Parts: sequence; C-alpha cells; structure tokens
Amino acid sequence: MNRKKKKMSLSAKRSRTGFLFILPWLIGFIWFYARSLFMSVQFSLSDLSVSPGGGYTLDFVGLDNFLYAFRAHATYKQVLTTSVGNMLIDVPLITFFSLFMAILLNRKFRGRTLVRAIFFLPVILNSEAIVDAMDLARNMMSGGLSSASAEMAQASSGGMGIAYYMEMFGSLGIPEFLIVYLMGAVTRVSDIINASGVQIIIFIAALQSVPGSMYEVAKIEGATTYETFWKVTFPMVMPHIITNIVYTVVDSFTQSDVVELAYNTAFTESNYGLSSVFSLCSTAITCLILVIVCGAIQKRTFYYN
Amino acid sequence: MADTKKKLRNPFRKRPKEKRLNRSVAGNGILFFLMAVCGVFMALPLVMIINNSLKPLDEIFQFPPKIFVRNPTLENFSDLFVLMNNSWVPFSRYILNTIIITGLGMVGHVICASLAAYPLAKHHFPGKGILFSMVVLSMMFSWTVTQIPQYIIISWLGINNTYAALILPAFSFGMGLYLMKQFMEQLPDSLMESARLDGASEWKIFWSIVMPNVKPAWLTLAIFQFQQMWGNTGGLFLRNEELKPLQYALQQITAGGTARAGAAAAVTFIVAAVPIIFFLICQSNVLETMTTSGMKD
Repeated sequence: MNRKKKKMSLSAKRSRTGFLFILPWLIGFIWFYARSLFMSVQFSLSDLSVSPGGGYTLDFVGLDNFLYAFRAHATYKQVLTTSVGNMLIDVPLITFFSLFMAILLNRKFRGRTLVRAIFFLPVILNSEAIVDAMDLARNMMSGGLSSASAEMAQASSGGMGIAYYMEMFGSLGIPEFLIVYLMGAVTRVSDIINASGVQIIIFIAALQSVPGSMYEVAKIEGATTYETFWKVTFPMVMPHIITNIVYTVVDSFTQSDVVELAYNTAFTESNYGLSSVFSLCSTAITCLILVIVCGAIQKRTFYYN
Repeated sequence: MADTKKKLRNPFRKRPKEKRLNRSVAGNGILFFLMAVCGVFMALPLVMIINNSLKPLDEIFQFPPKIFVRNPTLENFSDLFVLMNNSWVPFSRYILNTIIITGLGMVGHVICASLAAYPLAKHHFPGKGILFSMVVLSMMFSWTVTQIPQYIIISWLGINNTYAALILPAFSFGMGLYLMKQFMEQLPDSLMESARLDGASEWKIFWSIVMPNVKPAWLTLAIFQFQQMWGNTGGLFLRNEELKPLQYALQQITAGGTARAGAAAAVTFIVAAVPIIFFLICQSNVLETMTTSGMKD
C-alpha cells in the first residue's frame, strides 16, 4: 500500500493537493447549494403539498408544470421576454460605463478614495432595510410633493416626447432599433449608474493587476494615451470584462421581474412547483445567453500566459 | 554653438514650455463634469441620510422639504438608545450579532473561495471543467426562489436558529470563487514554477506568493461580501430575538412609521455608515499594492 503511494506521479500528487484546496468550499457548496438546486428540479417536476403536521409530500406530475407555464400562464412569457430584453440593453452599457469609470478612478488625483466610495454607495444603499427606511423618509418629506410631481409629469408629456425624437432621428435615416436602444439607455441612466458599483470595483482591481512595467515600456516607445489604452490596458483587462458581464447578467436577472414573479408564485400562491419551473427556465435562458456572449468574447480574449 | 553646449551640459533642465502630452484642458474639464454629475447622483441618498439623522423632528416633517439640516441635533441618536433600551433586547446586542455574522461570514468566504480558486486557476485535474461550470450555473440561480429548499436543508442540518445558519452557507457562494479564479488566472505560471523549484509547498505558494499578488482581488471580494452579509436581515433562519442582526432592528423601527421617524433616521445612518467606512479602509489598502509580479522577463 505504502509502495503504491510512493509510485504516485507528480501530476497526480499535485492534483490531489489541488483537490484538498477545493474541499472546504466544495463541501459547503454541495451541502447548501447543489442540494437545493437538485430539490428545485425535483419540485418543478411534481406537485408539492404541505402536510398538516409539518413536512411536505411530492406527487410526480412530469412536465405538467412546464407545459402550464408556457401554454396557460397569463404573464410568464411576457415577463420573461421583457426581462431578457432589459438585460440585453443593460449589460453592454453597464460594462462600458464601469470600465470607463474605473479607468478614471484609477488615475491619481486628490480625494480619489472619497470619489471611489461615492461610486460604491449604491451597492451599500441597496439593502432592503435601507431602501425601506429611505422610502419612509421620502414619504414624510414629500407628502404633498408627490401629487405636484405627478401633475408636472402629465404636463410635460405633451410636447417633446420620445415619439418626437424617434420621428426626428428616423427621418435622418438612423435605423429604428438603434434609436430605441439609445432611448432605452437614456431613460436608464440612473439605473445604470446605480447598478455598476461592483463592476467598477472589479475593474479597478483588474487595472491594478496590470504590471506597471508595461506602461513604462509603452511610454518609452512613445505611445499616446489612446494607444496605450487599446494596446495595453484593454487586452489586459479583457478577461475581467467577461467577469463583469457574468456578474452583471447574474445581478440583473436576480433582481428582475421574473424572479419576483417566481417569488410571489411560491410565497403568496404557494405553488412551489410552478415557481421552480419559472426560475429553472429563466436560469436556463440566462446560461444560454452567457454561453453565447462569453464564447464570442473568449475568442478575442488575450491571456497573459 | 555656445547655445548648444549649454543645452548639452544640462540635459535634465526643465523645458521652457512643459506641455502635458495626450490630454487637453477641455478634455479634463469634460471628464470632471461627467464624474461630478454621476457622483452627485450617487451621493445624494447618503447626503439625505446624514442630514435626516441630524434633523430635529419638526424639520423631518417640514414641508416643503429641505435637504440640508438647519439646527443639527443628536436627539435622534439619544432617542434611538432610549427606545432600544426599553425593548427587551438591548440595542448593542443587535450590533454584536451583525458584527459576528458579517465578520465570520466574510473571512470564511474569502478564505474558502481563494483556496478553491487557486487549483481551479492554476492546476490541472480531472473534473475541473465540470466543477467550474457548476459554479457558474449556481450563480445564475436566484436564491430568493430557493429559500424553501435552503430552509429544509438548514433545518435538516440542525443549525436552524443559530449564527451558523447564516454564516456557513456564505462560505460557499459561487461569486467569490469565480472572481478569485479570474484574477489568479492572470498570474504568470513561471512565478509558481520558480517557487516550486525552490522547494515551496503548495500551501506556501498559495499563502506567500499567490495571495499577496492578488491582494486587490481579495480585498474587493471582502468589500463585496461584507456588504452582502451586512445587509442580511436574518429572515427565515433566525427566530430568537437576541440573535437577530442590526438590519432587522432597522426594519422593525421603520415599520413603526412616522412615530419613530427620528430613530429610524438615526439607525439608517448607522447601518449605512459602517460598510462605507469598511470600504474606505479596504480601498486605501488596495492602492499601489500590485507589484510587477516579481518577474524579470
């Protein structure tokens, strides 16, 4: 037995150490997450009823829940398509905005830490309890104000609406989908700023892991800032663009209406099977999108090694 | 002739018109303006929180509302402590709970995720691809929906209604592993090879070569995880009042409505301030920690 161990090849030994490193994480993962994923699949294939004494029973119903979700459910398909559409608009915008911001925030200037903190604020203020408290404060401050702003919105919707711009740009020969996209982007500016806190941080960390010697070389060779960005910075942070796309997709999907619908289905209608179907299908679609997007980017990605 | 000689003698002399390359004043101005606009958007809620916590009651209800406080007081904070001392769990207990949950959850997660990310990024072993795609898949899944299976698992493990119910699952979030793996992948292989040639064990390589080199990454992860754990209300898993975190207390006070508006403003300030301070500390440590990865090629 002992002899056999000695005969283990170097690569086998190394992979065993590697596995040992993963173990603590893996145990937790299997216990807490893999199991609940598996249970969700189980729920989606069955009709769950809570037994009166506690616990639950599952009746296997096959694909009934799936069929119901796509054929009979009133809003699911619609909610799903809008969520996916929103996500497709948001992801490129957030990614580029946060890269841009990260590059700015990575430069040396006075009060940099403070400015970084300001851009990270939305992430901190996004927790449920703080949002509640802010709502309360706003309600107290603006008891009469809300009606005034509603009036104002009504008054302003007459003249320069989105339709007006659409027509104007349309007559200039700009394709309509582009206008719709840009309009969507403009109306989301604050959403996008709010959603890009973590991405900015990831990009800042990425920018800081670019070896300084590379910039030095670029400088000595006489590259302009523009060239340095496209030839040094961009290729070096490319892997993290994928990281950020993955994060953004996950983030926007876990906060989308689909999840809310699934949550309500589970907790107010107590239809756990259907709720699992909703979240499984949206997970599948998200994965599909990610595989396509990342596949496309990965080919162009430069890895340092 | 004499002129050129003079120039040659002092090559480091400052040129008369030192021009900054590559960026104009106008460009800087536009950038500054853009950042200022975005920054104001983001900072406004915090300004409101700070000011609200310092406003006396009559100013909170004032109409039309003012953002900035006129007569700042600390009344709200003292109100809060009076209010919380009258409840049967002292306020400091909520703070302690949050610190325990956040601290352990964050440290454990950063360590577990980094440990697991190192072999995934730098080693080759069978099943690596499957394992990694499983991690990515798990991130796609929204955990609001899987609360029920989660609850079942946690009560099956018998850690329901303990700190562990919140801390242990936090160790194995997929996001941290993914983030760390992406950063570790960028480290040059030759760095680890040279350490191996010098006889370092895998643990040694991980601890004294990989981790210091990806410091921005794990500090980022720490910030991220701190925020996640700090925002946790304990929800389903903690039933005992004396185990509940600060966010839960905030929710309770907010639910009290207008009667407790002052105290709510004070708690909101406390809840929001701590992650910001943590962020500031971590960020200033991230600065300039990246070495040029110790390579000479």
